[in-house]
Amino acid sequence: MKGKSVKKFLSAVLVGTMTASLLAGCGGSSGGGGSEDSKDSESDKAASDSGVDLSGVEAIADIGYEGDPIELSFWYLQTRQEGTDVLTEVFNKANPNINVTVSYYDTDGIKDACKTAAQSGSMPSMWFNWGGALGQYYVDNDVTYDLTEYGEANGWADLYTPGAMNLVTLGGQVSGIPTSYNVIGVYYRTDLFKQYNLEVPKTIEEFESVCATLKENGITPMDTAGLNGWHVMRWIEQFIEYEAGADMHDELQSLSTSWDCDAVKKGLERYERYCKEGYFPDGFITASPDDTYMAFGMGSAAMDIQGQWYDSTLQNNEVTLENVSWFPFPNETGRMSAFAEMNQFNKNLSDEELEAAIAYTNFLFSNEAAKIYPTYYNLPLPRTDADPVDPAVNPNVQDMLDTSSENGTFTITDQAFPTEVADVLFNNQDAIANGETTPEKAAAAIQKAIESYQSK
Amino acid sequence: MKENKTAPYLFMLPALIIYLSVIIFPVFYSLWISFQSGTGIGSMEFVGMKNYTQLIHDEVFWMSFKHTIIWIVLTVFVTTTVSLMLAVLMNQKFRGRTFFRAFFYFPSVISAIAVAIIWRWIYNPQIGFINQFAQMLGLDFTQTWISTPNTALIALFIAALWQAIGQPMILFLAGLGGISPDVLEAASIDGANGVQTFFHITIPLMKDTFIMVISTLLIAAMKVYDIVKGLTDGGPNNATQVLASYMYNQVFQYNNVGYGTAIAIIMVLMMLIVIIPYMSFTAKKE
Repeated sequence: MKGKSVKKFLSAVLVGTMTASLLAGCGGSSGGGGSEDSKDSESDKAASDSGVDLSGVEAIADIGYEGDPIELSFWYLQTRQEGTDVLTEVFNKANPNINVTVSYYDTDGIKDACKTAAQSGSMPSMWFNWGGALGQYYVDNDVTYDLTEYGEANGWADLYTPGAMNLVTLGGQVSGIPTSYNVIGVYYRTDLFKQYNLEVPKTIEEFESVCATLKENGITPMDTAGLNGWHVMRWIEQFIEYEAGADMHDELQSLSTSWDCDAVKKGLERYERYCKEGYFPDGFITASPDDTYMAFGMGSAAMDIQGQWYDSTLQNNEVTLENVSWFPFPNETGRMSAFAEMNQFNKNLSDEELEAAIAYTNFLFSNEAAKIYPTYYNLPLPRTDADPVDPAVNPNVQDMLDTSSENGTFTITDQAFPTEVADVLFNNQDAIANGETTPEKAAAAIQKAIESYQSK
Repeated sequence: MKENKTAPYLFMLPALIIYLSVIIFPVFYSLWISFQSGTGIGSMEFVGMKNYTQLIHDEVFWMSFKHTIIWIVLTVFVTTTVSLMLAVLMNQKFRGRTFFRAFFYFPSVISAIAVAIIWRWIYNPQIGFINQFAQMLGLDFTQTWISTPNTALIALFIAALWQAIGQPMILFLAGLGGISPDVLEAASIDGANGVQTFFHITIPLMKDTFIMVISTLLIAAMKVYDIVKGLTDGGPNNATQVLASYMYNQVFQYNNVGYGTAIAIIMVLMMLIVIIPYMSFTAKKE
């Protein structure tokens, strides 16, 4: 009898626990959902928890829409969730007839999710994307709204920076609103450089000398991570820029000249040599690029090739910028790799939905919003009226952008390439690092992939 | 009373509609798509057997096929053996048995992506548990488990094994529990030792359990995807690429929907090779 009572009690506890967990899963929202009361309490709580003053964004959130209720969905990066959730709540609260729901994905997850949605006809109202080949897919398949006329009517040529507008104009049409313009440089640990009496390298020979010294002293010279391939690619494209020069590199990126050439082979040979010298971390091929900040932050790696957003990334992960600075990779042309990010819009949006979606985008990427959450944006915003970056918060950003304006840029390779060609490059990166192929064979394989793609 | 012959079919109709629309129709529609070429958006072009003939010359496809076969063989033999051994162990009476059963079952409730993240850290060459433990024992050891082509697939399998042993263990435990103690006692009285009893009595009496476990593991192994995607993304250089991940890349990353679907059809045919004999065997038995 006692045993039966215990069993009954345990069963009751288990049932209660399961029911409670089921009910807990039914509540809550990730931005935009829920009742008015929960909207108020969520944004107020989040803002008060972080000591954030929302009065600046609250003042501009109301777009004066009084039409029929509109539901909008937005797919965005998970690294920017915290600020976006609060700002979305502010927008929804100020515009009771508009409800924006944000879903978050990681860097590679959002690419797959958007492709899957495009093929199943279930694209969200708006989504984050990159320029180049990544954004081109949605233009080629007539999924995204052609904003050319809208942009002309609303003076976008004067509102957004020319560089950013250039990178979001794909296939002759304005395919999205630019939300950031990014340039890639080499971040380095100033304390490690000082410790080993190293100067910022101005030539590639000096760069190799720096790497050798760091390696001798047990520091990984060049932080990188090969999962998904694009982080390693950032180093390799700099080697190719050095070997090919600006004009030829542009031709290579536009696939108008063969990749089975000396410049590419020499660039890949340099990469192979650096792998053999141990300048990259052990086991980097399947390491995640989302984690490179750890080795860099801990000081076990001295250099990391990143965009100006790295100021924010490091701070968001509690790495002080006191011992961090940057230099352009010494590729002799001085050019920096560049790309844009944008919001694209579903071509099936009605006029009212499009206006609301654009208004939300302009709100989310306003000076006021960026001021509150500077570490969740790739600053400065690509707007001609963008607030200058606060050097106290993001000390490297303005210098990187000024340098890129002065020296010029080239399109980052994984946006210049179609995905299946980029994957052949990434696979050959792995193969070279593991000694499975040679730079000559890799160059030939990349060219073969290009020819195969072009013949489709 | 007149027998209503249509009533059973009417009761089956809702389930049949769902089955036809969710399983049968998509399979045949996929077969149709595999004879087409296109990006999956808008119209596609009929190309006949072109996708299949292209597959024959595709090195990465054959590499993926080989890795999938290796994975299936490892799953059937290693996962089954380890789960069975654990089940036999957990079937003994000892203090804390219930805790250990839950302990070994627990990984199977974690999502494969979470398992991949956990094991990526375990395998980390600098700060991962395995290398750090080896160094603690005084070994100068920095193996790059998932970055080296020769070890990547096995390392991936070990991570998957950690997750996969729980459910078969439970099934084997149920099978062991179904064996009458009288049979085992009779064997013991007749002079059979533990090993003889296990191989000549226990295993034959668990035949149905084995069939269920092996066929379930086989089908799961044929479509392994999430742990590959999470841990190595098919790398380094396709060293851990399997059919499911290659099919996914073709359809959703390269937009070669027809070609990727042809790979999916090949996978379906592979599964039919298992399912048809299994169904005939169970039907004969009934």
